[in-house]
Amino acid sequence: MLVFAISDKGGTGRSVTSTNIAFRRALQGDDVCYLDFDFGSPTVGAIFGVRSAERGTERGGMHSYLQEKTEDPYRVDIWTDSDRSALRSRPPGAGQLILLPGDSSGGEFPASPRAVDRCVRLFSRLREEFDLCMVDLSAGRSYAADMVLAATARAELSDVPFRWLVFHRWTRQHIIAAAGLVFERRGLLDVGAAHGHDKTALAERIRFVRTAVVEANAPERSALRSTQLAWLDECDRDLHELARRHGVGRTAMLGKVPLDPVLQWREQILVDEDVYASQIANESTIRAFDHIATKIFDARAWEGL
Amino acid sequence: MLIMGEVQTGLLRNLGELGEPKCREVLGLVSGEEPRTSMRPLPYAISPEQFTGVDCRLPGVSGARIRGTGTVAQHAVIVGGRVLQASAYATVVAGAADHRLPWSHYLARPGDIEVHGRPRWADMAEGFMAAEMPMDALNLSAIGGRLMAAVQESPHLDGKTPFKSTRTHLRWVLWRGEAGAPPLLLTLGKGSLRTLRLTGEPATDVTAFCEDLALHDWLLTTIQAIIQRALIGTAAPSQIAARLAPAIDHLMHLWMPGARVPDSYQHLWKELERRPGFSRQWASSVTRIRDQIAVNTLSLLSAAVMTESGHEPDGDISPHRGASQDDP
Amino acid sequence: MTAPFAEDTAERRVEATPLSHVSIELGHLYMEDYAEGRDHLRERFRQVAPWARTVRESLSETLPGRARISTCFLIDDYFSRFGSPAEVVPMVTEAAAESGLVVDYLARESGCARFGPVDLATLVLDRIVVDPAPGANGSRPPLTETGWLCNGQRGPETAHVEAMGAQPGWRPPVQNAKRRHSIFVDVELWDAPGGERVWSCPFLAAVWQLLRLGLLRYHGKAVAVPEEPGETFPAEWDALPPLLKLNPRAAPFAAYRTVSVLSSRFLPVELAVRTILGQVAVDLEVLRQVTERARAEGVPFEDELVDRVSYVFT
Repeated sequence: MLVFAISDKGGTGRSVTSTNIAFRRALQGDDVCYLDFDFGSPTVGAIFGVRSAERGTERGGMHSYLQEKTEDPYRVDIWTDSDRSALRSRPPGAGQLILLPGDSSGGEFPASPRAVDRCVRLFSRLREEFDLCMVDLSAGRSYAADMVLAATARAELSDVPFRWLVFHRWTRQHIIAAAGLVFERRGLLDVGAAHGHDKTALAERIRFVRTAVVEANAPERSALRSTQLAWLDECDRDLHELARRHGVGRTAMLGKVPLDPVLQWREQILVDEDVYASQIANESTIRAFDHIATKIFDARAWEGL
Repeated sequence: MLIMGEVQTGLLRNLGELGEPKCREVLGLVSGEEPRTSMRPLPYAISPEQFTGVDCRLPGVSGARIRGTGTVAQHAVIVGGRVLQASAYATVVAGAADHRLPWSHYLARPGDIEVHGRPRWADMAEGFMAAEMPMDALNLSAIGGRLMAAVQESPHLDGKTPFKSTRTHLRWVLWRGEAGAPPLLLTLGKGSLRTLRLTGEPATDVTAFCEDLALHDWLLTTIQAIIQRALIGTAAPSQIAARLAPAIDHLMHLWMPGARVPDSYQHLWKELERRPGFSRQWASSVTRIRDQIAVNTLSLLSAAVMTESGHEPDGDISPHRGASQDDP
Repeated sequence: MTAPFAEDTAERRVEATPLSHVSIELGHLYMEDYAEGRDHLRERFRQVAPWARTVRESLSETLPGRARISTCFLIDDYFSRFGSPAEVVPMVTEAAAESGLVVDYLARESGCARFGPVDLATLVLDRIVVDPAPGANGSRPPLTETGWLCNGQRGPETAHVEAMGAQPGWRPPVQNAKRRHSIFVDVELWDAPGGERVWSCPFLAAVWQLLRLGLLRYHGKAVAVPEEPGETFPAEWDALPPLLKLNPRAAPFAAYRTVSVLSSRFLPVELAVRTILGQVAVDLEVLRQVTERARAEGVPFEDELVDRVSYVFT
């Protein structure tokens, strides 16, 4: 299974959420590979606490592989190579958790036909080994998104299931932007169709994930005055209406991740220790990750809208 | 003179076992050249030899920049219609000149790499065994990787694997060695890398031994991974049985160490059987798997008896298989 | 000790071919040469004759009484068609005979592309091992431009630069095995104007040299086995066997080395031919067979393919 993580705008928490989903999936027993396709800024290594690949690798990463400069893209085994001790022991029954970082100081490059060929080769190769490949794409309309849309339309990958997760914050601007990225001109559906995808089938493989959501029962709200609360509820209702109108409503949503200070201040993998021992993170956040990690593979969540 | 090589081993991308005629098609990588096949004691197919030109830095621990020019030989092997190997290797020899000669000179000696200047064999041999080589040094891994991809992308394969597995890389070197060096030293490195130091008179027929060893090391690695993931002792017997099934269906019959190794290298297998005892570990893994299957059968039987006598069975005997979730 | 068990498909058998000491090519003509008529042809062969004689004499001195020499002539029927075999073949052999030359073997250039059922050109293309540029360590596939082959590094690529990456400036192409200064050669092997692949003249000429050196095999069997001509020559080129043995007493077609007596207008073509031949990896077993036979016969023999090919340009 290929899962593409994308957002229209930066700062949605796309990378930190998708890495955490990948981590939960590995804990559940899947062999998981995380690919850094954020070509303009390949920094996922930092979230996994891998100092040697914080800003990508010098030893031939995704940029080099896709541009035919290396055949063996550099791999980081999170269970052994992370500098965070909490990640460094593989729990019994957990699957592999491998990071394929980008090149350090790599930049965006065009989705040439050769790069698409390489991308097809990479996905086919990883399929031999992994149950889940999570691909973290650059924000917005990017070469990376164009390339994977072209690759997944190819016959060689026709029987590889794939899903898209579009991350957005629960604000006016973000809702409109996320909808635009998917539905508008030169959006995912448009470009996908141009590469040979069936538009309806592709739409069924795209779901939205809301990030940094403040829930009605959230403890943060207890400090607010009643006028503020009333105002907030009204905003929330407006947002729901806006989301519905833009096709980003509840039915198209796969999950939501609550606002969590740890994710805001330090983008990192949340381990149980962060919730139960040091109590810096909220249990509900981990539950949200687990929920999304399960739902990605739950066929019912992906039935026609 | 020394020979260095790398064998990559992985599961062939095909759901079923590949028959001999298909193996011939898949390995027919050079027009007008037949792959060689044999059926005893195990189906086996090997592609014609191909060559890749290189002119680059050779590995070395001292950091000295040694340049070599020549060709790397490579071929692909399919064992049991199930396991694919790509083998890339080169014989490194003292050069005829310390500058680059016309390419036709090197093509008159396919499979040789000539060193510019004075070769430092020990330095080179150790450098090739290092986990991380300089990025500009000879990269047999990439050459083997491309060959592996060329086979895996064959239209004669259905592109799917019956279970997930990891490729292994066995990097090996054979040369006369320092005085008193053991005949062989196999090291399990980080991740999927294994290194093998062989001491002896360099001859390219050693590739058959290295490929055989790589195959059996991969079988052990893969069956161990399957056992580890089955969560024996924690999961329900039916789940364990389902997770162990690929080992029984696809791997167990492939164990035949030394089957295709020339007589002159059989003693090396004997060494490995003595320590660490490859076949010992294999036998114990196989026993463990069979025992688990037996336990599951027993629990199914007892459940059936209980149901007949009107009792509800304990434990989970649902036919749920822990198979891949790679289906849409 | 012999093995107690064997399987046929596990063994590799490579057929040996009979070999002469030298194969002499008696010139080469373009279609317009034929169009100019008999006199023009006679003049061409008159220029070839003394050189062919010299090659013959010098070899007879080194191998007195036992020199095996065969002659051959290649007719271009691949790029354009002129007349019919029934007209052209006798015209060629007669014009040669007037200068005292005997054409032992006559070949069609189409046969270098496809020889009967064998796709010879692809067979050779698959055996090209590209001359690596300094720094080539196997990480990247050989830098090839589809359908082209060169002896060095082309200038820089300008397309596909990463965002905010440095734009490469102009760099000259460089020969890999240069002697201080470069002679950079880039050869077009084929093109496909109408979708169908058309092999270039130098590529077919390289195949021709490999045939004359007896180095090509198809599934272990020798290719280009000469056929005896029928009573008359056919009216269509396609009906003519690709390699004909015109002289029944001729020494074997293939030889340890080749000499081609050519007009100097073919110099650029032959430079291209050598660029290609320098990058063909011949089957190891065939190389070994030929080398051992040459040694056993005591014939001077070159290891490198291109050194077995020589020319007289007139």
